[in-house]
Amino acid sequence: MIGRILVVTLVLVTTALMQTSLVPFLALGGYRPDLLLLVTIAFALRDGLLPGLRIGFAAGLLSDLLRNQSPVGLTALVFVGVVYAIGIARPYLATDSLTAPLLLASIGTLLGVGGYGVLGSVMGETPFSFDTIIQASIVSAVYATLLAPFVFAAVRFLTSQFPVETAPRPS
Amino acid sequence: MYQRRRARVLLAVLVLVALVLVTVDFRTDGKDGQGPLGWARGALSSVLGPVQEGLATIVRPIGNAVETFSDVFELRAENERLRARLQALEARRVSYDDVARQNDELRALLDLQSAGDMESVAARVIDLGSSNFDWTITLDVGSNDGVERDMVVINGDGLVGRVIQVTNSHARVLLAIDPNFGAPGRVARNAEAGPITGAGGKPLVFAPFDPEADIEAGDEIVTSQYSNSSFPSGIPIGTVEEPGSPGGLLTRQVTVRPFVDFSRLDVVLVVLENPDRPIFPDRLPPDLPFNPPLIGPDPTDTPSVSETPSDPFAQPSEAQEQP
Repeated sequence: MIGRILVVTLVLVTTALMQTSLVPFLALGGYRPDLLLLVTIAFALRDGLLPGLRIGFAAGLLSDLLRNQSPVGLTALVFVGVVYAIGIARPYLATDSLTAPLLLASIGTLLGVGGYGVLGSVMGETPFSFDTIIQASIVSAVYATLLAPFVFAAVRFLTSQFPVETAPRPS
Repeated sequence: MYQRRRARVLLAVLVLVALVLVTVDFRTDGKDGQGPLGWARGALSSVLGPVQEGLATIVRPIGNAVETFSDVFELRAENERLRARLQALEARRVSYDDVARQNDELRALLDLQSAGDMESVAARVIDLGSSNFDWTITLDVGSNDGVERDMVVINGDGLVGRVIQVTNSHARVLLAIDPNFGAPGRVARNAEAGPITGAGGKPLVFAPFDPEADIEAGDEIVTSQYSNSSFPSGIPIGTVEEPGSPGGLLTRQVTVRPFVDFSRLDVVLVVLENPDRPIFPDRLPPDLPFNPPLIGPDPTDTPSVSETPSDPFAQPSEAQEQP
């Protein structure tokens, strides 16, 4: 259990570091992929709703602390919402489907980045323009679809090495 | 079913915690580095800073190589554009030396500080921002190097942004393209002044005080020092892309393409001037005391107000307290 917590923490911190150093070079028209959201989606798809919610909240909080112009908690709120939506959809996916996870990665990112833009406009000091929110969501979603196979493979490997311990059900 | 119910409870708890955090961050001005969450931001920045510095050293050449590769296709067009620009500048250069000498003499007469005299510290960019909605960078200099909040950041091309958070060894900079950024600007050709603000991923927006001002596409916009701002005068910001229509509107929106390429920032300069808080009517902190410029005799000594000239553009005297 402790091993899994350490590994997940390390994955999130490494992803955050890549997000601030490597990802900006991939920016398209000024917009960039959201790696932390993609990793969160991968964990939610792999491990299910409960672990996904915990990891989503932690990833969102980490992402919040790296940002300056929006209140802490906003990204955590959005990530938790995306994970819940994916957790609801997950039981209806065919287990061997290749396209379904990609579709969920892109829809999840679209909702996550768009939702953050809208909430940030409502709660932040300066509203983002409609164009900015739409463009950022679309670019991030396209990138999420492209990067998803690699991220999902890495997360699948990690979760197979450090699986979630299932709590015994009450009788 | 049991799992689903537990998930719902956890979701409710996490949403509640997130909303509490948002409220606490708002109430304690965490964005300005204050309160527990402002402290947490600074702490994370201090912890990750050294790792980011190392990563920047490794990643920068890779990023540059990727960009160089993508640039190859644009080189011919770029070359032609630069040749045309060079010819235009060569034609202008003839009179430049004379004008520069005159400018130096006049500045000396007026005791003005030119942009070249500014004391500054060079810094490397170690973090290019994490989000699509947060146009910030982190520098490898901090309060130990004399950097303070609200100091202006420039590079060889022009205005980069303004320092918004400082730790001992790192500083976070709000880029000029962020919607929260504002600076006093003016048209270099005819000194039409007005605030210039960021607009996210799009070009900057310049709003001249005079909507009927003569502004054309291609005009250069530089920083201005009106209204006691912290921005040194004459830092290039960008060129006018669309001058907008002056007709009938109270405010005119002029879009400005910045000189600085914000996706390729590497080495920048932090101007070590005494920063004042940027003065914008819509961004004044609520607790800012009202300090009208004290002109002529101090009104506390001479109660007669009628003798005080009411020139709103006069420079404030030294007796004025800084907010």
